Amino acid sequence: MSYLSFFFPRGDRWIFLAWVLLCLISLAVLWSVTEPIHGPYNQLDPGVAKGVFYRQVFWTVIGYGALLLASKVPLRYLDNVAIPLFLFTVFLLAFILLVGPRIGGARRWLVIGPIHLQPSELAKVTFILVTANILGRAVDEGRGILAALVSFLVMAVPMFLVLREPDLGTSLVFLAIWVGMVFWFGFPGTLLLGAGSAALSAVIMFYSESVAREAWPWGLYVLLILVVLYFIRLSILSKVMLLAINIGFGIGIPFFWEKLQGYQQERILTFFDPSRDAFGSGYQAIQSKVAIGSGGLFGTHYLQGTQKGLAFLPERHTDFIFSVVGEELGFFGAVVLLGLFLTIILRGIDYGASARRPFGRFVAVGVVTYFTFHVVVNVAITTGLLPVTGLPLPLISYGGSNLLVSSLLLGLLLNVSSRTFEN
Amino acid sequence: MVERDHLIRRGIFRTVVIILFMILVGNIFVMMVPKHAYYKDQALENRQVRFRVRAPRGLIMDRDGIILADNTYIADITVPKSSLGSSGPDSTLIRLIKWFDLPREDTLERLRQQKERGHGGALVLISNASMPQIAAIEERGRQLPGVRVEARPRRRYLFGELFAHVIGYVGEVVRADLDTTGDSTGYRIGDMIGKQGVESALEDLLRGRSGTKLEEVNASGRVVGRRPVWLEDVTSGKDVTLAISLALQHRMAEAIGERTACGVALDTRTGEVLAAYSHPAFDPNLMTVPISADQWRALSGNPDKPFFNRIVQATYPPASLYKPVTSLAGLANGVISTSSILEPCLGGWQFGNRYFRCWKRSGHGLVDHTQAIVQSCDTFYYQLGLRLELDQLAAAARSLGLGRVCTNVFADEASGNIPDVAWYDKRFGKGKWTRGVLLNNAIGQGEILVTPIQMAVLTARLATSGRTPDPVFVISPHRKAEPPEALPFRESDMAWVRRSMELVVSDGTGKAAKLDSISVAGKTGTAQNPHGEDHAWFMCFAPAREPQVAMVIIVENAGHGSSEAAPVAGQWLEAYFAAGDSLPGLPSPVTVNGRGH
Repeated sequence: MSYLSFFFPRGDRWIFLAWVLLCLISLAVLWSVTEPIHGPYNQLDPGVAKGVFYRQVFWTVIGYGALLLASKVPLRYLDNVAIPLFLFTVFLLAFILLVGPRIGGARRWLVIGPIHLQPSELAKVTFILVTANILGRAVDEGRGILAALVSFLVMAVPMFLVLREPDLGTSLVFLAIWVGMVFWFGFPGTLLLGAGSAALSAVIMFYSESVAREAWPWGLYVLLILVVLYFIRLSILSKVMLLAINIGFGIGIPFFWEKLQGYQQERILTFFDPSRDAFGSGYQAIQSKVAIGSGGLFGTHYLQGTQKGLAFLPERHTDFIFSVVGEELGFFGAVVLLGLFLTIILRGIDYGASARRPFGRFVAVGVVTYFTFHVVVNVAITTGLLPVTGLPLPLISYGGSNLLVSSLLLGLLLNVSSRTFEN
Repeated sequence: MVERDHLIRRGIFRTVVIILFMILVGNIFVMMVPKHAYYKDQALENRQVRFRVRAPRGLIMDRDGIILADNTYIADITVPKSSLGSSGPDSTLIRLIKWFDLPREDTLERLRQQKERGHGGALVLISNASMPQIAAIEERGRQLPGVRVEARPRRRYLFGELFAHVIGYVGEVVRADLDTTGDSTGYRIGDMIGKQGVESALEDLLRGRSGTKLEEVNASGRVVGRRPVWLEDVTSGKDVTLAISLALQHRMAEAIGERTACGVALDTRTGEVLAAYSHPAFDPNLMTVPISADQWRALSGNPDKPFFNRIVQATYPPASLYKPVTSLAGLANGVISTSSILEPCLGGWQFGNRYFRCWKRSGHGLVDHTQAIVQSCDTFYYQLGLRLELDQLAAAARSLGLGRVCTNVFADEASGNIPDVAWYDKRFGKGKWTRGVLLNNAIGQGEILVTPIQMAVLTARLATSGRTPDPVFVISPHRKAEPPEALPFRESDMAWVRRSMELVVSDGTGKAAKLDSISVAGKTGTAQNPHGEDHAWFMCFAPAREPQVAMVIIVENAGHGSSEAAPVAGQWLEAYFAAGDSLPGLPSPVTVNGRGH
């Protein structure tokens, strides 16, 4: 081990390279976003403050440190401290809900002097660790479905606390990570079918209720389920359960709808029909699509994007940064960016299978699910495929917590990648 | 060694991830390559908003250059068209409706109509917004993307009622006026158009031409560009100068006071209308914004009909004012001379089986032609009428300006009625009427109908032997007046009529219009009104020997012209000759209010 290797992370070189390139893309885009606009509007719209760029440089350095550390700390040690770490973050989540400052209508931040931390970001890391601990131990000890149920209850705690902040997007991240990890653990096919079809039933009923205003689409779906159940090989009990859960979720949706906040209802309705609120909550979605679409194959010239220029894109340096990427770097730029994420994800899946210890495998899958969910949902939102909810693009969106946690998780993946059966 | 289970799950996981990424990339590809041009246009449109800028309407001034109608600016609160989507109003619009406490359904319906019909960029949520409303919008601008406060010129009539009927008023265009061709000079929703009077007659001149500009806007729809790009310049409306004098109009209104009446005064040399006032009138400022229900009820429910423009719309029998016409017809056709004496007046005249009464029941006794005018003896004129052919009388009346529309300002001007043989044949059937109608026609009753403006022209033409052109309401832009056709009367006969009319004021029924220093010539009349009290007429010109001004007064349901109309004329003439340019107590411009939604 040479002296230089102390400053480089262990593990997969490609994943590390992807991290470096993504950080560079982020800085390049943030530099552009924070440039004052060229042309006659200099004084009128200075864009986003330059400080955003410099802070991101600072956080990139910190993020590198986190990546380095996470790639080198012994995994066994992390396995041992997973539970206390998780309990600590749950305490923080409960703490800010009770006494945290209300900023922008939500209690999400832990404020220590000048630093604003989001415990929910940290919780993503400790949640992955604790779930990997539970599921890994279950694999070692040969236990099955009970461990999956325990992990579900563990997941429900941070998810519920984050939902109360309120932060719908982040709370869904916990659910997604859990689904990914439990799938890896081995989820009974019937349960998977049950959960999947129930979710579909809910979505279709929602569509029938709020948009189509007719019951037939959902009726058609139930008919389809009946046909599938007729042909599928399952016990009668399972079939009845499956049908019941589908009908239950479908009928439950109107009640759930009533429980949603007005703005959440509005966002979902607007998702199905953005033009109903072109200047309200549909505004971001429309402007974001316009920005991306106007990018073309090669993008409008870097530093000269028109949409960001006159502030047509709200949140353009945070959650909607992908639309700036699309506008300025074009289709090829966007594909390169997605390709880098895909590299991390596909290689990560490999390590989920080839890691030496179960704990490592589950950590890898947790990290991969985290990236998959964040990237897919964020890009789907900015391109108008999903309703708007706050969710950053890992490593690219401006924000210290996001960069720190994403780097930390990639560090863990690198760590796992250095302890496989192959090497 | 990798477990078999993990290989299967790895395959599923990979497949799901790759499918998800393919969906993302495919969607991005469609947006960025095939639909690129569409989004590119959208991006450009985002920054540039087309504004239509309404032209300020031309000023209307009196003959001395005093401004009678100008423009102020009022603010409209507008929302973007897209705020009213096919599935209903967006959250911003709903918020605004709640804030301003507008009736929700009515407001949405109104906006929907605007959206259907309009070509403009925005929908007017609140027209003529109040200061608190404007402040509310300006304060919360950031949270109200696309909502704007737009200034719009509003017409202001500085003397309110005084010129209501002559100037008329502007109002919002109605559907029929709207341009559907997309022509940039056409009318759009919310544009103002002259509805009545001069505003309507000179609409093309006054309105100017609206312009179009492109402004750079930011995300919340605020204008940020320093310099707009003008696609079409705004052309202000042309100013118009009326012949009317503010001072004389004011004196006319003062003289008329609270009477239901109408007065018109012409400069006999040019035909310029110096004053034309119809009372009761209305405040035209109320008409430029949607009028409140109460105000509308008060105006439209008034039995004296304030909107009725008596100057040109009301028709009355001319009564004794017609007698000079009958005289001139007789003289021109050689059936009588200026000194003729007919059968004495014993209080009326028997024709066939009907007895036609003179207004003076005791009779005038023996009167010559001159005294017949001075004392307004009906009996004399019954006899004169019987010597004439009906068409001879009608021709004389027409040559003096009766029986036809005589202005080009008022679209709804009445032409009156000068009946001739053809008219009676048509009305009653050939041979179904007798020469008895001549007795009524000779004294200006029966089926003859005239408007006050026509009588003013007649008066002026008697004064100038027919040299006064048709009434001129507008002196700038100048329009050459058609010289009137020569009268078919001898000058000596005209002079005799004028002398007789001078005697009417000095010794006869028109004494109430007498002035100390200036001799006035006039004629009184009392128009029979089957619906109530008679209407009082008076026509006059002065100075009698060198006429400058001719005027007509009619006071409705007042009784005799000598006692009810002549004093009004006298009061105005006194003011006219007092000192044209140094009249004390000119009215000051009114303050315009009247606010609506």
